[in-house]
Amino acid sequence: MTTVRVSRRGFLGVAAAGAAAGAAAALPRRAAAREEVQPEPKAVGLLYDSTRCVGCGGCVAACKEANGLPYQDEPRELDCNTKNVVKTRHLSHPVAGGATSAFVKRQCMHCVDPSCVSVCVLGALHKEGRDKRDSGGEQRGSGIVLYDKELCLGCRYCQIACAYSIPKFEWAKAIPRIVKCELCHGRADPAKGGALASANPACAEVCPAEAVIYGYRADLLAEAKRRMAREPGRYNPKIFGEHDGGGTQALYLAGAGVSFKELGLPDMPENSPASLSESVSETPYLHGLTPLALYAAAALVVRRNHRAEAPDHAKDEEHR
Amino acid sequence: MSPHLRPKPIGGAILDRPMIALLALFGIAEGVITWRFLAGIGAVSNMNDGYAWGIWEPVNVVVFTGIGAGAYSVGLLCYLLNRGRYHPLVRPAVLLGAIAYSLGGASIVVALGRPWNMYWLAIPGMWNLTSVLLEVAICVMAYVCVLWIEMLPAVLDGAAESSSPRRSAFGRIWGGRLAKAMPYIIALAMLLPTMHQSSLGGLMLVAGPKLHPLWHTRLLPLLALISCLSMGLGAVVVLTAMMRQGWNARHDREILVDMSRVNGLMLLLYAGIRLADIAANGKLRLLAVSDLFLMFFVLEMALCLIPAFIFLTRRVESSRLRVLGALLSVVAGALWRVDTFLTSYNAGEAYHYWPSWGEISVTVGMAALGVAIFIAISKALPVVVVQETPVPASVAAFVMSALPGAQGRLQAGGRRGPTTPGTR
Repeated sequence: MTTVRVSRRGFLGVAAAGAAAGAAAALPRRAAAREEVQPEPKAVGLLYDSTRCVGCGGCVAACKEANGLPYQDEPRELDCNTKNVVKTRHLSHPVAGGATSAFVKRQCMHCVDPSCVSVCVLGALHKEGRDKRDSGGEQRGSGIVLYDKELCLGCRYCQIACAYSIPKFEWAKAIPRIVKCELCHGRADPAKGGALASANPACAEVCPAEAVIYGYRADLLAEAKRRMAREPGRYNPKIFGEHDGGGTQALYLAGAGVSFKELGLPDMPENSPASLSESVSETPYLHGLTPLALYAAAALVVRRNHRAEAPDHAKDEEHR
Repeated sequence: MSPHLRPKPIGGAILDRPMIALLALFGIAEGVITWRFLAGIGAVSNMNDGYAWGIWEPVNVVVFTGIGAGAYSVGLLCYLLNRGRYHPLVRPAVLLGAIAYSLGGASIVVALGRPWNMYWLAIPGMWNLTSVLLEVAICVMAYVCVLWIEMLPAVLDGAAESSSPRRSAFGRIWGGRLAKAMPYIIALAMLLPTMHQSSLGGLMLVAGPKLHPLWHTRLLPLLALISCLSMGLGAVVVLTAMMRQGWNARHDREILVDMSRVNGLMLLLYAGIRLADIAANGKLRLLAVSDLFLMFFVLEMALCLIPAFIFLTRRVESSRLRVLGALLSVVAGALWRVDTFLTSYNAGEAYHYWPSWGEISVTVGMAALGVAIFIAISKALPVVVVQETPVPASVAAFVMSALPGAQGRLQAGGRRGPTTPGTR
């Protein structure tokens, strides 16, 4: 009886110590966090100016046509047949000029450090030129988030992870795919120079009001700042996507008095969700050292305890 | 291990009435699964682009494996901390783990949209190492193998006891060989769940902007790890109580009390870390907002603290309260897991979700299949250690009428009888 008591107290102590050690090991340290991803110099993207958009829906139709997607009624949300949508958002109070609503175009944000790319099990969603498989015609540097269906498990972690809820899934198909804007990468013309060599988004090509334009991210940022400088009273002074969630390659301008939240864009932390997830998840592993050490320690202790128990077992064999 | 601690097959007819009921439940699930592969996931589920994992991931994978962590937590206590003193519990716990993890894995395959692409997983060069789900997938697949290898001694012991001399020799020889390799396999069984159970919590780290701040924290992996230890210990205590009722399985009070006390510590640790983390990150004000989230949070805490109170006071000595506490600790872990993956997850105003009957039937059917496999294997192979005291007539009558497999066991009992040491 005494030995049982002692051993019980003993292992309660060890259990508590083990839990504490585990806690210490698993505690993420900020210092070891992985570095924030910076936009690639040749990153391309879109600039959408909500104040210029008249909601004509031309970009939605052009997108459908360019991507061979069925067009029936005017879509209200992104779905597996809609990679681009223009929504009318009702505002909580009227803004200058008496407007009570504002337009917002939604498509993939082509994040600088995309959650979908970080979480994709086999890298089906990847930045252009970084496919694990040579799928042809991809060049590094554009930062476009592309999809390779041959590497997709259909796990939908991208849908869970994307803060903007962009990737869509073909729920009604036995052989489904993930569908999202790839910036009309397939319409790129290498013969043309500059950004058009990487992609040529139909939405930007067709927009009559330059409400959405395509180009290098750096140029788009400069253009956004130019527009704001020209008409300071017209705009919300923030450019959504410049820093939000580690930055996006699709940038947004909102009208004065209109918050991005009202346009349906989420409040994002300054650092990308992917960097948080990766640094918290990877830090305790110490590049694989922790699992090896844990395994070695466990094997040692189990072997010792196994031996300690062996004589008992041998006696047991004699009994039979 | 002395002979009276030697597991024996329960015996009796495997395909009895409760088994048929369990298989019927699985049959419904199988029908739904077949239709899902023909017509797409949308045809059987209410999952949508907002709630892309529905209940299959949160329940079939995250909760099932939490229960299956019984193999992990009992293994930790037994092999690492207590010199094998928990042996009679290990086989049932490992079987529970093997089944729960296998069904979790099977559920993932059902939920995958493009499962045929899984062959890429065999090529490490194709792995996206930043993906937490990749880590979970690889680690869980490896662990399922380890768990079934851990079950092999039961098969080989069964063979060794066989009347056929060839089979018996095979069982003895390979049983001996496997026993030598066992420490290294057991060590893997300690390592892999440490990795993937924390990663299961880590899955939702990236979804920060969509999770309620009371659930989203950098400590998600740590909380998941502690929660699986608590769920696992609770599940094994409940399992032992059920096997005692149904099969007159041996139950060592000392061990169950010890396990429950450790569980109590885990629950306190979990609640303490969670509250401290909420306070440290300035989220206490969220506890003043009375909404549905607060209700779920309070419920989780209550489900956590009530069993902790039972386990860490004298009440742990009462078998009834102990089993109740164990059950609550499993529910506490399960609720936290479902809340983290589903309830506290907000996909935006455009999406709503409530599971369809198809989804529910797959979840229920998978659970039923798990129970069925557990019963079938325990009847056929030496997994469970049976109590030696004769069953009182009143208990026998109750057991006969109510529990799966009891009839066979008690009928067989007359002929074979529970063996006493030295008679074999």
